[in-house]
Amino acid sequence: MDDTTRGSDLLEASRTKISVRNLDFYYRGYHALKNVNLDIPERTITSIIGPSGCGKSTLLRVFNRIYSAYPGLEATGEVLLDGENILDESFSLNRLRTRVGMVFQKGVPFPLSIYENIAYGLRHHFKLSRVQLDERIEHALHESALWNEVKDKLHTSALSLSGGQQQRLCIARAVALRPQVLLLDEPTSALDPIATGRIEQLLNELRDDYTIVIVTHNMQQAARISSYTAYMFLGEMIEFGATAELFTRPQRRQTEDYITGRFG
Amino acid sequence: MLRATGFFYRRRRAADLIAKTLGVVATAFGLFWLIWILVVTLNNGVHALSPAIFTQTTPPPGGQGGLANALYGSLMMSVLGVLIGAPLGIAAGTYLAEFAERHHAWRESVRFVNDILLSAPSIVLGLFVYTLAVRSVGHFSGWSGGIALGLIVLPVVVRTTDETLRLVPNVMREAALSLGIPRWKVTVQVLYRAAAPGILTGVLLGLARISGETAPLLFTSLNNQFWTTNLNAPTASVPVVVFQFAMSPYESWHALAWAGAFIVTVFVLLLSVATRAYLLRNRIDSAG
Amino acid sequence: MLPVDEAHIKARAAAETRQDAAFRWSLFAAAGVVLLILGAAAVSMFWGGRLAFATFGWRFIINDEWDAVGHQFGAFVPIYGTLVSSAIAMIIAIPVSFGIALFLTEIAPIWLRGPIGAAIELLAGIPSIIYGMWGLFSFVPFMAANILPWVNRNLGGVPWIGPLFRGPPLGIGMLTAGIVLGIMVIPFISAVMRDVFQTVPASLKESAYALGSTTWEVVWKVVLPYTRSAVVGGIFLGLGRALGETMAVTFVLGNAHQLSTSLLMPGNSIAATIANEFTEADSDIYLSSLIALGFLLFVVTFVVLAIARVMLYNLARREGR
Repeated sequence: MDDTTRGSDLLEASRTKISVRNLDFYYRGYHALKNVNLDIPERTITSIIGPSGCGKSTLLRVFNRIYSAYPGLEATGEVLLDGENILDESFSLNRLRTRVGMVFQKGVPFPLSIYENIAYGLRHHFKLSRVQLDERIEHALHESALWNEVKDKLHTSALSLSGGQQQRLCIARAVALRPQVLLLDEPTSALDPIATGRIEQLLNELRDDYTIVIVTHNMQQAARISSYTAYMFLGEMIEFGATAELFTRPQRRQTEDYITGRFG
Repeated sequence: MLRATGFFYRRRRAADLIAKTLGVVATAFGLFWLIWILVVTLNNGVHALSPAIFTQTTPPPGGQGGLANALYGSLMMSVLGVLIGAPLGIAAGTYLAEFAERHHAWRESVRFVNDILLSAPSIVLGLFVYTLAVRSVGHFSGWSGGIALGLIVLPVVVRTTDETLRLVPNVMREAALSLGIPRWKVTVQVLYRAAAPGILTGVLLGLARISGETAPLLFTSLNNQFWTTNLNAPTASVPVVVFQFAMSPYESWHALAWAGAFIVTVFVLLLSVATRAYLLRNRIDSAG
Repeated sequence: MLPVDEAHIKARAAAETRQDAAFRWSLFAAAGVVLLILGAAAVSMFWGGRLAFATFGWRFIINDEWDAVGHQFGAFVPIYGTLVSSAIAMIIAIPVSFGIALFLTEIAPIWLRGPIGAAIELLAGIPSIIYGMWGLFSFVPFMAANILPWVNRNLGGVPWIGPLFRGPPLGIGMLTAGIVLGIMVIPFISAVMRDVFQTVPASLKESAYALGSTTWEVVWKVVLPYTRSAVVGGIFLGLGRALGETMAVTFVLGNAHQLSTSLLMPGNSIAATIANEFTEADSDIYLSSLIALGFLLFVVTFVVLAIARVMLYNLARREGR
């Protein structure tokens, strides 16, 4: 299994945030992820690409164990976050999710005001005064490039925002808790090009503070924003490396086939 | 282009025309009865209305009076019914929609039984409460009337809550869980808020249903000629009074029965219309 | 700005697990109550009727005596009345409901469907006691004055079914009760039919239209076969309601413990008997017989409603819902 060595050479320089070791995932008996090994470096953007059904979303959803809300889904192996195995029963889910935040494809805000959407998570985890709360919400909205557009209507319903704004609100909601890792599952596939551009710009600004893992079916997007890329096919991790290298000189034939568009 | 003629084509067209005509006739038939019933009820009811309905209690045979005690009793027992049936119903509905993922057989059994309870004859539920709450304490009471009504509200609320929660997008659930919020808070603080219009509709539908129910009250709260606020005693209710007065030979009692029927009908219709309008304006509260 | 405090989180984790468990258990209990109610209702009514069942045995069902003084009670007359009035109701309601569903899904212009549909649903919302009042004070006199004499004259002499329609035009009676019941049940059956007709995939109907089918042919040959089991389910649902209906029938059936071939004569139904005589029951065996009647009604409606539910869900399952 030599395909990840080149990637690992580069990783010598940066620390590994998430380390996946021999991960298998079963979806009601169906073997969805097969012996996945991966090291995600910290404070950078890593994208996971591959054709439909390759398991990239499944892998992402292992990182915050969101799959545990559904019956019949099982993961074996190890996923180490800063050295601790998050798949272990004793690792509390809620604790995991304060360190690993997630943004979904369809950004659905809670049926609350813009302010309350972000305040909700903050109030649950912290004891903050009104002033501190206001500060953190403003900061989160600045980080997600939404502040200027909503600062005068913080207490109106979040549902009145456009699709792109709602997605940015979901990002603000996630970063407000200051997680260390930010997972994004096809965050711009439901958005128009302008909104997509905004979000990509946003992610660029966030990369210095967060470890970002983004699943995307859009290869150009992966090439634009990520430093590292992982290619998956039919549940297996085929290749992982620096984005520039993977796209110009892929090591595996399968990777090359996908990148050059020989199949969807 | 060939013109379609010929025996078979004409016959098919005739069949189509007959079927369409019969469909229109059937609908007119149904609407005819609706209009007749409403006109009769509203007409007779309006003529029997007077302020005395609300200020005086039910009279002895042949006498004059009002429906004050019956209105009060109905109000009390309906509120009691909702207080009993709605929380239980919301809880059970939430279980079915959110927390029974691994227990397929159990979940489907509860749904099955609930659907049967939903359409079960209310007289049967009344008999059940009789053996449970009246026989055991030895007397009829407003409390047992409220319990019987609660049993009618329960399956309505279970079903509506179950269905409404299932309509809330999964992403909302996952997004809240991803913030590290415990499961129960996600359900109560986020999902209920999104499902509130639907759940409230279920409760209002249950209320509309019990407002006109007579049979279950016959064996639980019975009736009471006099004014009482004591729910521990037999309690008057509008439907039971209507039943008793209508079946009697007294004209004055018939008039009061119509007044009662009118009030019940108007209340139920207004509630149904208002519920419909409310739901239409407030579909599941999520990003559309 | 600090990230989340690790120690704080660890301490809360245990508490939150407990809260989640407690929440889940209380919801589970509430769901259990639903099952409990059905079971307890069955058991308690069987228990209440045990004296009657023990005294009369199986003959309870076929005995047509009803003697409060002599303490002889038999369920046959009420059972007969329940079945016959429900049968009449279904004969009226099924074709009319189908016609209404057809109208609302295929014939009516789009703008008309909402209002008419809402109006039909209003019929379902009217409490049964209102049906009873209207039935007794408006419909019965109408029947007695206009319809029944005609029925008696013209159908009373027909061979075979004549005896059904021969009798004094009292107004109250089996036929009137059956008609009122039928009207009550129409909105329920038509609502199910309408919902179910609308689930037929448009592509299926459009293919048939493209081949030159008339609207009627599409309904008869495509829509109905596709929805067949759910339509039957809807009919059973209506039947279940008709069997258990109390107030609408009590007012117009006549409450007479007599068996007659003629539909123009008064009779009795299980629900009407219980409703009318419950407060008059002066002996244990009397009360027990009434409760036993309730138990029989419960069993019959349970079976009918269970069949309805199974048939309705067959269609839903086929669609993957």
